[in-house]
Amino acid sequence: MDITVLFFGQLAELAATNETVFQSVIDTDALKIQLHQKYPQFADSSFIIAVNKILTDQNTPLFNGATVALLPPFSGG
Amino acid sequence: MAEKSVKNIFTQGAIEPVFISDSIAKHSSKTNIGAHSIFLGQVRKDVIDGKDVVAIDYTTYEEMALEKMHEIREAVFAKYPLACMHIRHSLGKVDAGKICLFVFTSSAHRKVAIEACEEVVEKIKAELPVWGKEIFEDDTHQWKENK
Repeated sequence: MDITVLFFGQLAELAATNETVFQSVIDTDALKIQLHQKYPQFADSSFIIAVNKILTDQNTPLFNGATVALLPPFSGG
Repeated sequence: MAEKSVKNIFTQGAIEPVFISDSIAKHSSKTNIGAHSIFLGQVRKDVIDGKDVVAIDYTTYEEMALEKMHEIREAVFAKYPLACMHIRHSLGKVDAGKICLFVFTSSAHRKVAIEACEEVVEKIKAELPVWGKEIFEDDTHQWKENK
């Protein structure tokens, strides 16, 4: 089971990549725990999560092939 | 949602004034229009800790941003009797003093055009997954956050 994780803005800079793959994460809460283990530099960063481009503010199950985007506060315009 | 109706809004680098004037000129044949409202965002040379911001480097989650912009467009068209709406947002580096956002709404009467324009600008600022990196004169940077 592969979950693609996309990083944007400051998170892409902190992770030094735009994208990574996680295996065997069943939901977004589990993913957050793994993210903070793999990227302790995210500790002070706030972000919201989009699963397959849909924003979610609660724990969301993840299925094989899902794309999860980590979105720091927006600053367009 | 019909995929073909999702329009691109992004342009690489600054939005040139000639693009804006051309865009205005294209409406001369649409004689049902009585009012245009235009918002232009310009990169501001903020001074932060004594250092000048010389440019903003914009990035986006393009697929999601275009879908979100489509939603915003549909919602605003449903709410206001607009004749048309045009949006451009810069990506990549835009120098201080240059235009980075263009929102253009047109309708029969002024109030609708003005209110719709403001609503679109506010929604773009709050809901579009776009990030601006403020670049200082000494090549250091910080990440902008919309207020």
